[in-house]
Amino acid sequence: MSTRNPLKDQIAIAGIGSTGFSRSSDVSGLELLVRASVEAIRDAGLTAADIDGVVVPGEPGGVNPGVLATALGLPRVTHFARPVPVAMFSMLDAVHAVHSGACDAALVAFPYLRLPWNSRSAANDPFRRHLAHGVQAVPESIAMAPAYAAWASRYLAEYGVDRDGFGLVAVNMRSNAARNPLAAITTPLTLDDYYAARMIREPLGMLDMDLPVDGADAFVVTRAVDAPDVGRPQVVVHAITTGLVTPNDEDQVPCLDRHSQHIVLDTLRAKSDFWIDDADVVCLYDGFTVITAGWIENLGWAPPGGTADFLREHWVAAEDRVLVGGRVQINPHGGSLSEGATRGSGHVREAVVQLRGEAEGRQTPDARTALVCTGGFFFNSQGLTLRRA
Amino acid sequence: MSTPTLTDADLVERYAPLTVDKDTADFYRGWAERELRIRHCTECGHTWLPFRPICPRCWSFAVDHVVVQGDGTVHLMMLLHQGPPAPGVDYTTGPYPVATVEFADHPGVRLTATIVDARPEDLVVGRAVSLTWFERNGMPHPAFRPTEVTR
Repeated sequence: MSTRNPLKDQIAIAGIGSTGFSRSSDVSGLELLVRASVEAIRDAGLTAADIDGVVVPGEPGGVNPGVLATALGLPRVTHFARPVPVAMFSMLDAVHAVHSGACDAALVAFPYLRLPWNSRSAANDPFRRHLAHGVQAVPESIAMAPAYAAWASRYLAEYGVDRDGFGLVAVNMRSNAARNPLAAITTPLTLDDYYAARMIREPLGMLDMDLPVDGADAFVVTRAVDAPDVGRPQVVVHAITTGLVTPNDEDQVPCLDRHSQHIVLDTLRAKSDFWIDDADVVCLYDGFTVITAGWIENLGWAPPGGTADFLREHWVAAEDRVLVGGRVQINPHGGSLSEGATRGSGHVREAVVQLRGEAEGRQTPDARTALVCTGGFFFNSQGLTLRRA
Repeated sequence: MSTPTLTDADLVERYAPLTVDKDTADFYRGWAERELRIRHCTECGHTWLPFRPICPRCWSFAVDHVVVQGDGTVHLMMLLHQGPPAPGVDYTTGPYPVATVEFADHPGVRLTATIVDARPEDLVVGRAVSLTWFERNGMPHPAFRPTEVTR
């Protein structure tokens, strides 16, 4: 296992931009992308001529980096890439590209579009129809989303617990989203609401699943020494990694105690000078509630199966959400469950906003360190630690 | 039931939309003959799913298949209240059960398939099940049914 980390604290997330998220956008994916991108570049104090790296994940409905570069009129790009979806593949690519010298300032832009099968309105939009052609699933396929329902069944059976832990994760995210103006859904949620929600793939229901949205996030990555001084604290990448267990086919993964989250956490911890007990901001992926339970337990916050007890112990009834140790929020922005399904870019953005001290209404006082864990159990687990410089 | 006349093109067409390719053809040919095959390394004896051309343990390319007897235990269990369309699958009449079963004779090797002939109390992690077959689009597909419990 490589514990080397020569880029520690060298690379800055110098700019951020976001369109915010909704279930009713009527502009194109490209327009969402360029709006977030322009905001991020301006936020970094840079111009089109400064951006020589473009990274856009291969999200359904997304565009190639070349299209984004042309749309923005970037005159000279020396690094571009289209990593697979989920935030950290693209962040890692940009961070490595800047650190290696492949480019000086990388734009990382994440497009999100509701797909035709995500909702009736999306299905009825003829301009989304071309997105419908992909691998055709069969009922007996566990690949991708169904895998989390399947492993949730294992979680409930193996640990002999009910769905309270998953439900409290969902309630926490909704309560947090109410403090985030970018969030797509902010109506209050109770544990009763959670249990009353329609089952989709039992044992998981509607409120265990992230919320498909339209929107975009963008980031500008530079060397810390190159980032313009725009009069606010700088946020630097402390450590970043992905992780892959083998086998990682959804139905062959060894067990709940040995999957890709464990690889990520071993590695990230070895590369970082601080860990969970010293993290002021914690963002844990919640594409499905069971994924968040996995991160909570694998980080050592709770024993296996202990997410419900842990959340109850740190629950603040008056705010209907968790504050670990009375202070640390989990996904202050509301996560993928309530801000919107950003495949983790929202989690990275929120960590940056908190470390800058710009999270009005949900700011953790004096936030200096952040831990961000994105992705699930199989082939997209990822981790990031950030510091306020 | 043997189907010796099944060409590669037939196999691909009749098992669509499943991904039948060079790596998985032997797996689905087994289905056509109601035989559940798993990959086997002739050098080190390792067995695994899904079908891939190299032994992940010793890197031998000398791989063939063994036929599993088919008894196993439900490792993962989901009830699909909605899901992909398929002939004979009607989500409106009740959730459709899909389980990942770990084979008793090959620990750690699992197959995801539907469960048939089950009462609600059978649809749980840990239930003993046995291999059976059903037809979809005229082609055999593996399924599991609860193993009779000796009383």
